[in-house]
Amino acid sequence: MTPDTTSVLPKSNRRVVRSGALLARFVGEISEGRFWAYLLLLPSLILVLAVVVYPVGYGIYLSFHQYNLLRAGLGATFVGLQQYIELFQDDDFAQIVRNTFVWVAGGALSQFLVGLITALALNRKTLRGGPLARVLLLLPWVIPSVVAGHMWALLLDSRLGVINDILVRIGLLASYRAWFADPATAMPAVMLVDLWRGFPFFTLLLYAGLQSIPEELYEAAEVDGANAIQKFRSITLPMLTSVIVAAIILRVITLVNSPDLMIVLTNGGPGLATFTLSLYAFQIAYENFNFGAAAAVSVIMLLILMIFTSLYLRFSGVTKAT
Amino acid sequence: MSFTSIRSSQKATQRLFDAIAYAIVAFMLVFALGPLVWTAFTSIKPEKDIVTNEMQYIPLHPTLEHYVTLWNRAGVVTMFRNSAFTTAVTVVLCLLVGTFAAYSISRYRFRGRGGLLTFYLIIRMFPVVLMLLPLYIMLRSIGLLDTVWGLALTYTTFSMPVSLLMLKGFFDAVPADLEDAARIDGCTRFGALFRVVIPLARSGIAATSVLIAVGAWNEFLFALMLTNSDGSRTWPVVLQLMVGEFQLPWGLIAAGGMTSILPIIVFFAFAQKSLVRGLMVGAVKG
Repeated sequence: MTPDTTSVLPKSNRRVVRSGALLARFVGEISEGRFWAYLLLLPSLILVLAVVVYPVGYGIYLSFHQYNLLRAGLGATFVGLQQYIELFQDDDFAQIVRNTFVWVAGGALSQFLVGLITALALNRKTLRGGPLARVLLLLPWVIPSVVAGHMWALLLDSRLGVINDILVRIGLLASYRAWFADPATAMPAVMLVDLWRGFPFFTLLLYAGLQSIPEELYEAAEVDGANAIQKFRSITLPMLTSVIVAAIILRVITLVNSPDLMIVLTNGGPGLATFTLSLYAFQIAYENFNFGAAAAVSVIMLLILMIFTSLYLRFSGVTKAT
Repeated sequence: MSFTSIRSSQKATQRLFDAIAYAIVAFMLVFALGPLVWTAFTSIKPEKDIVTNEMQYIPLHPTLEHYVTLWNRAGVVTMFRNSAFTTAVTVVLCLLVGTFAAYSISRYRFRGRGGLLTFYLIIRMFPVVLMLLPLYIMLRSIGLLDTVWGLALTYTTFSMPVSLLMLKGFFDAVPADLEDAARIDGCTRFGALFRVVIPLARSGIAATSVLIAVGAWNEFLFALMLTNSDGSRTWPVVLQLMVGEFQLPWGLIAAGGMTSILPIIVFFAFAQKSLVRGLMVGAVKG
């Protein structure tokens, strides 16, 4: 079904249009065939195989080989599990795994709690200006990590930081602090920046989840004389469980995987205070050019993430719902 | 306690909850917007008002000098263009590939359908660092390393699964009857896709585009590793390198930050409603 538009176009364009129409008719005919469903999937499949599957496979292969870009002439020598064993014998590695745990668990939990409290507040029907507040509260989520990092670096700066100034003025702090340079505050400070970027994700999902809870449930509970806490515990939380689990697991995957903020803010320092697995892998790869060892670290991350992903798949019921 | 006093105490409780809700929203608004406002202020303060002993809260001598410096810096305009181009190519490619795949998964029931969808969904669990070197080698061998095309191809692949999920949700909402009617009138399946399904799902497609665009515009790690010349570097990378080059030029960094987030905020304001709906479809329902 191609309307004849060729006649109204200048002559030079007619051929292009005609061959385009021919192509459309040809594809149209194929679309009636048996393999159409598969043909439609082909481009995405090729992309994923080339850009994800092959690199991951090659990366896993590298984790069992010694491959250093500075000595690329030596090629990849098979070393078996040696690079994994060396990691586990490394004292720094234990510290880095601990940091990763703090970063991921603390990050996901704090962002979830702040996101939940915000969503509950936004969900009050008497709240005026709710729609505008919802949009504005989502903004941090679309700010690039690099910009967010620099923004907060200035806010928390040891000499020019406005947060230091405010805290000193209201008497919470005796003098300015170097938040990112102090081993005790560096990790919480980076986590605060990620809280800023990450809480809107939870607010968005949880708010939508709250909106989908039928009002009748609360009305029935009120008739039975339930108070606010009882209603929250026996209606809100159970109804939100699947959203909460899916959101937390998705966030965990992101947290394990992204060294962006550390690259911008601390580069792992001071000492090892903010070193996480993803940053470690990144640094071994691009500062020491030891790709084999970096691949080994990444494979360990992948194993951790596989556990979380299988949990995600089980809880969100993705495979069933389709 | 009499009936009326229970009622009035309930009212008092409600009012208390309202007050708490307002307080939380107000506090979160300050937390969310404060850093953005402060950065905007910093970007229009002259350097001597940023580096002071006495904190200056309101810009007293507003100036656009940092924006002018930024604009005049060698290559900044090119990098802005690189980002815009990479983002545009990513959106077009991703919509094309994503629409085809989403339509197939939405309309056809074939063996391995659920498995394929799950597989696409778990792509994001693969550590970026694990893929970077092989990807680097591969892009180099086909001549796409250090090009906006190579970057766009990479972004397309990683945005595709979420876009596919969103688009599938929007396509599911288009009644199959309409398509059948078009086919009775002589449309092929391919024709019906373009004449019926896509036009009906256009608000959803717009929302998906915004999500892809924001992701591509903001991406840092791949951009940092897969580009190394001014001809293909994108915004986030340039902003990060700016810090290394100078002794923390805060005004310039703030101006760069504001410039780079401006398009996102415009996009976002433009499409936030359907974006939120699409994300819900994608993220929660799966």
